[in-house]
This record gives sequence, C-alpha cells and structure tokens, in this order.
Amino acid sequence: MTETLTLGKALNLGLRRAMEDDPKVVLMGEDIGKLGGVFRITDGLQKDFGEDRVIDTPLAESGIVGTAVGLALRGYRPVVEIQFDGFVYPAYDQIVCQVAKMHYRSKGKVRLPMVIRIPFGGGIGAVEHHSESPEAYFAHTAGLKVVACSNPADAYWMIQQAIASDDPIIFLEPKRRYWEKGEVSRDSATIDLHTAKVVREGTDATVLAYGPMVRTALDAATAAEEDGRSLEVIDLRTLSPLDMEPVYASVRKTGRAVVVHEAPGNLGLGSELAARITEQCFYSLEAPVLRVTGYDTPYPAARLEEEYLPDLDRVLDGVDRTFGW
Amino acid sequence: MAINEFPLPDLGEGLTEGEILKWLVAEGDVIELNQPIVEVETAKAAVEIPAKWAGRVVKIFQPEGAVVEVGAPIISIDTGGEAAQAQEGGLIGETTANGRTAVLVGYGPKSGPAKRRVRAGAQPAPVATPVPEVVPEPEPEPEPVAATAVGGKALAKPPVRKLARDLGVDLTTIAGTGPQGSITREDLQAAVDGKAEAPAPAPAVLGSRETRIPIKGVRKLTAANMVASAFTAPHVTEFLTVDMTRSMRALERLKGQRDWREVRVSPLLLVAKAVLLGIKRYPMINSTWSGATEEIIIKEYVNLGIAAATERGLIVPNIKDAGTLTLRQLADGMTELVNVAKTGKTPPADMTGGTFTITNVGVFGVDTGTPILPPGEAAILAFGAVREQPWAHKGKVKLRQVSTLGLSFDHRIIDGELGSKFLRDVGEFLTDPEAALLAWT
Repeated sequence: MTETLTLGKALNLGLRRAMEDDPKVVLMGEDIGKLGGVFRITDGLQKDFGEDRVIDTPLAESGIVGTAVGLALRGYRPVVEIQFDGFVYPAYDQIVCQVAKMHYRSKGKVRLPMVIRIPFGGGIGAVEHHSESPEAYFAHTAGLKVVACSNPADAYWMIQQAIASDDPIIFLEPKRRYWEKGEVSRDSATIDLHTAKVVREGTDATVLAYGPMVRTALDAATAAEEDGRSLEVIDLRTLSPLDMEPVYASVRKTGRAVVVHEAPGNLGLGSELAARITEQCFYSLEAPVLRVTGYDTPYPAARLEEEYLPDLDRVLDGVDRTFGW
Repeated sequence: MAINEFPLPDLGEGLTEGEILKWLVAEGDVIELNQPIVEVETAKAAVEIPAKWAGRVVKIFQPEGAVVEVGAPIISIDTGGEAAQAQEGGLIGETTANGRTAVLVGYGPKSGPAKRRVRAGAQPAPVATPVPEVVPEPEPEPEPVAATAVGGKALAKPPVRKLARDLGVDLTTIAGTGPQGSITREDLQAAVDGKAEAPAPAPAVLGSRETRIPIKGVRKLTAANMVASAFTAPHVTEFLTVDMTRSMRALERLKGQRDWREVRVSPLLLVAKAVLLGIKRYPMINSTWSGATEEIIIKEYVNLGIAAATERGLIVPNIKDAGTLTLRQLADGMTELVNVAKTGKTPPADMTGGTFTITNVGVFGVDTGTPILPPGEAAILAFGAVREQPWAHKGKVKLRQVSTLGLSFDHRIIDGELGSKFLRDVGEFLTDPEAALLAWT
C-alpha cells in the first residue's frame, strides 16, 4: 500500500519511525525542536518525543557534531541536522578528524553510529552559504559514508537505513526537492542503502545523477525521447562507497556516459566516475565520459543561480556532445 | 488605490516569531520605500524593519509588546497605485503567486515541471516518421593536440580498436573518414570486406611536376620505426664477403632429395640456418636494450624476421621460435611467410615480437647494405646478391659464387668483437655448411 508524500514529509515520517523503533535515536540541530527545522523536516517530533530526544542546539556546528560523537560513543544513535550545506564547515574538523577516524583509530573496536543530515544544493534563491554541494569533500574522506536521496520513497527508507547503520553517514537531502511528491510504500525497503538504481531504462546513452539532479536527468530523458534518443538514467544514491556495477553494466550497453551534478566539475564526483568508467568500460566507450556540472566558481548570488545550475537543457547539450564522437 | 498588507518577515534563519518593540510610524503617516517602520525583537537580535513599499500607513495591526508569528500581517500600507503582487511570505511549502514554493530563506524553488528551451538544430522527430531523423550533431570540442595521429598511432575510438584487434586488422593501414580523420566502424568493415580500395585521394598536381602522396599506412609506420631506431640505437655495420659456392652446391643436393623436391629452397634458407646457429653460439646477438627498466633482455627464443617488399610497402613478418625448427620446417615457414606477405594478408601478430631480422637485398641485385635495426632488436643481417666473381681459391683465381653480408648491430649491447665473431661464424657456415654442421651441432 502506497501513499503520496512530499520528500520532506517522507523524511519526517522516516525519522519518526526510526525514533519509535529505537529509543537510542536522538535528533540534534539548530531550530529542529520548537520550530521543526527551517524546512520542517523534524516538524512535530519534539512535541511527541520530548526535548531530550529532539534537541535544539546552540548555533555551533562543531559543538553539535562533537557532542554527537560523545553520544555515539556511549551507545546513542545521534542524528544531526546541519541547517544548511554552507554551515557544515565549522564541523568539518570534527567530521574529518574524529567521526571519520574513530573506527580506524580504535582498530575497529569503536564504531560511531551517527547520521549527519545536510540539506544541500541550490535552486531556492537563497543567500550565500545556503546552496552549496560539498559532497566531494566528504566522499574523499576515508571512514565516512555518503549518500544522497532524490525522491520521497528513497528519503523515507534511506534515512532509516542510515540511522540503523553502525557507521557514520553523511546524509545529503536535495533541499529544493523537499516539496516534490512521490509514491511511498511504508511496508519495507526494497533495496540496500549502498546501491545505485536504474530509474529509467534506455539504450543510447547513460546519464548518471544523484540528489536534486536526478529529477533534472529524468526530465532531460523525457525531452530526449522527442529527439529519438533513449537515455538510461541512474540514480547513484550512494556516493561513498560508489556502487559501480550497475553503472558499468549500463555504459557497456549504451557506450556513452554523461555525469551530472551541481557541484563544480573540477575534481568533483564526475571526475572519479569518469576515471572508473574509462578503466572498466574502455572498449565499450563510443565517446569520452562527459560531465555536466556547476561551474568552477563560488556559488553565485541567487539571481544568477539558474545560469549556474545544470538544467534540462545543459544535460541535453551534454548528451548531444557525446554523440559528436 | 491599493492597500497592501505587510507580514512580519523572517528576520533570521529559522525564527518563528518576534516581539513588536516600538512602532516608528503611525497610522496616516506617509512613508518612503525602505524607511524603518518598526523595531522588532527576536531571539537573536532587535532589528528595525524597513518599509517594503512607499505610501501611506492605513492600519497598524499589532500593538507594541505583542508577540507576532512570522507571516502574520503587522501593518497595511496604501501604495496608491495598482494592487501589488499577492502577498509574499506565505506558509512554508505553499505555492506562491510567482510559481515558487515558499521557504524561510530565499525566493523558494520553482514548482511545476521543467520546460526545455527551443534548441538550435535539434528538431524533434515528426511523429509520423517511423525512423526518427538523425539529429544534427554538434561538432565535438576541438582536441588540444593536432588532429593527425602521433607516433604512428591510428585514430580510432576504443570499440573500433577492440574490433580491429579481434579481426586482426592493423588500423594504421586504414584511412579514416570519421571526425578528425579517425577510423570508423564502417571504415574498418570496408577494409575487412576488401573494399578498402576506396579511391585514395588523387595526388594533387602542384604547379607543374610534383606529386604529393599522403604519408600514411605502412609508409608512415615504417618511417616512425626507422626514425625511432636510427636515433636511439647507435648503429655499427660490418661487412664480410664470402665464397658461397659450397652452399650453392649443398642446396642443389638438397633439392635432389626425394622429400625436398616440392620445397622451395634458396640461399636465404642457409643464411637463416647460419644465423640461428650463430645465435646459439652468441646469445647476446638476440637481445633487446630496455632503457625503461635498465636491462638487457636476452631471449632464449628466436623470432626470425624476414623483410619483405610488398605492394603495401616494406613489412617484416617473423617466424616464431625459429631456433627450434628443423631445416625443412624452416624452409616451409619461410615459403609460407613470403606467400602470405605477397597477398597482403599478414596478420599483425606475425609482424610483432621479432628478435632478429634478415633483409634479403640481394634479390634486387645489389651487393649489400647497411640496414637499420627494427626497434627492439639488437642486430640485423643484410644478404647481398650471389654472383660469379673471380676469387682466390686454392692458390688460383677462379670464378666462384660470392656474396657480401652486412651486419648492423646496436653498439649499446654488442661490441665490435662480438659482432665480428658472429659475422665471421655466419660466413664460415656459408663457406662450408657441411663442415660447420658437423663441427657445431
């Protein structure tokens, strides 16, 4: 039995269910309690689970994550909300030096079961620090797992799977897709957390995306169909570790690959994907792996962001270019 | 006249409410755009809020001291003009008049499906057409390097390279018609189907008496190999003139043997045998200078290359592991090699991995040469024409069958002493093959 939910509501219900299932799950973050979060993802949870489990913290990301490390060490499963992507940097030291290293440092004896939720990406017309895509920083760091949901059903299940994981997970939420609706089955998860998924089958070229760009890639695939081109769209879902087998299988089939992300192209996820695809699918590639990404600039002022963000047309242009070889 | 209600805006990220500290305007006041109208205290700070419109204050809804929810109207202003846009700052998640979703921070994301722009040159396929028109393809971005192949490498994309390898086709022998002169699947298929005789671009006549031939294929590969070899390996060439009369007689006797009647034998066969026996005595002749690993690699097998002039140009197929073959097998191998080479169907595998080469320039009637080493080989032997010449024989001048050998070798590996000894032994064999066979094997 399915119901229609927004991505934000699906996250809210997923968090609620995780808290019901495990009393050790605690939520921490700025304005997540009384306000319910600036995007209302934790709406109503403090009222139902109390101020000890849904904690309004001071505006100090390093302290929030550091506190969560302590809680995790003592058997809790903290779920931290970083209010906006651009606010995570004060906590970067804690995440990279403590969260990522504890398991390794303790020779595997200590695990940190914690989730750091980050609404990421642009498209909401916000001011500086509110529209960034910092995934590559974290995916580059050994000891962290990084996932990104793109639709309500994944949001509902992936947040629960992430909370249930004994490893620290950076959980990226596509903030501009919070209000997009989709069908959610709340019976059981259909696939594991760290798996990529073909979300549209096609034969002519493979488009790889995650988070907010999955919607864009799907729109592009619909438009490409009018041009007589059949695009296969893969939602990567897990950015570290990457799940490459479905990607290889697809590229071996289509012979062309375009990676789409909002983050700048230079040394972004697309670079790693291109390298791995080239290595594993060399004799299948009809064209070099191309990237459609944000530009190598700071995220621009809101009035320019539509020029910055890859959109349907930029994806189609990228697809066109792969057919130029 | 238009009256606009001004809601309490979000004063900082995530605040839900604020307390009206002090009104800075009164009902009936005329106010300017951005004029401070009210002081509000939030959990974070006390701030003055500027007027969003110029006009006259109609009504103040909230008294000083009131705690007001974000989004609730606090004042109405008569802007005098047309009705302003519907109020902004609706409830979070609701769609606003400008087609966006209201959020606390920012204009909010666009709602509704994305639309594509009209794209230059990309006409959607007509619905009635069963096979969609191929969309005009944009030019690929120019590559930073020159379009021509570098270092003898053919331009082709990976799947075409793989197909060529599977089909045993040497891509350097095919002219490409794809982007930047690359070889397409169709070019490859045409070459395999024997349709590769596509009219070569007619040599352009320049001025009066010059012909321009494009450098490509075997010519290009040969040139690259020769240049690479000549300018990396220091060549030394030595000559030895030998009396081959006994070798020629031995060949005649060999042809008289019953099971050799059908076999094509030539003096080259004995030269090959001499070389193989010589290599056994001096293995260093059959080696490679590996600069990358700082090693000299001595091979215990001999892949004996025989240079052949074909219509496509010079090719050097080799006989694998020739050192293990009987003389008869060697003869058959050489016949096969030459026959295949003449048809132009020598597979690439036969042309790689050579360890020592013989070039039979004598067939063109010349005495000998100073051959250039094939890359990766330490020595190469030129075999000149066998002719009757006056020769000192047993104290008298007689007419004997004489030929001149020219041995080039890589002086990095082989010194004059070793090269000379090897050449002398090859000469000794050809002077008296029977004695050499008895003495050496």
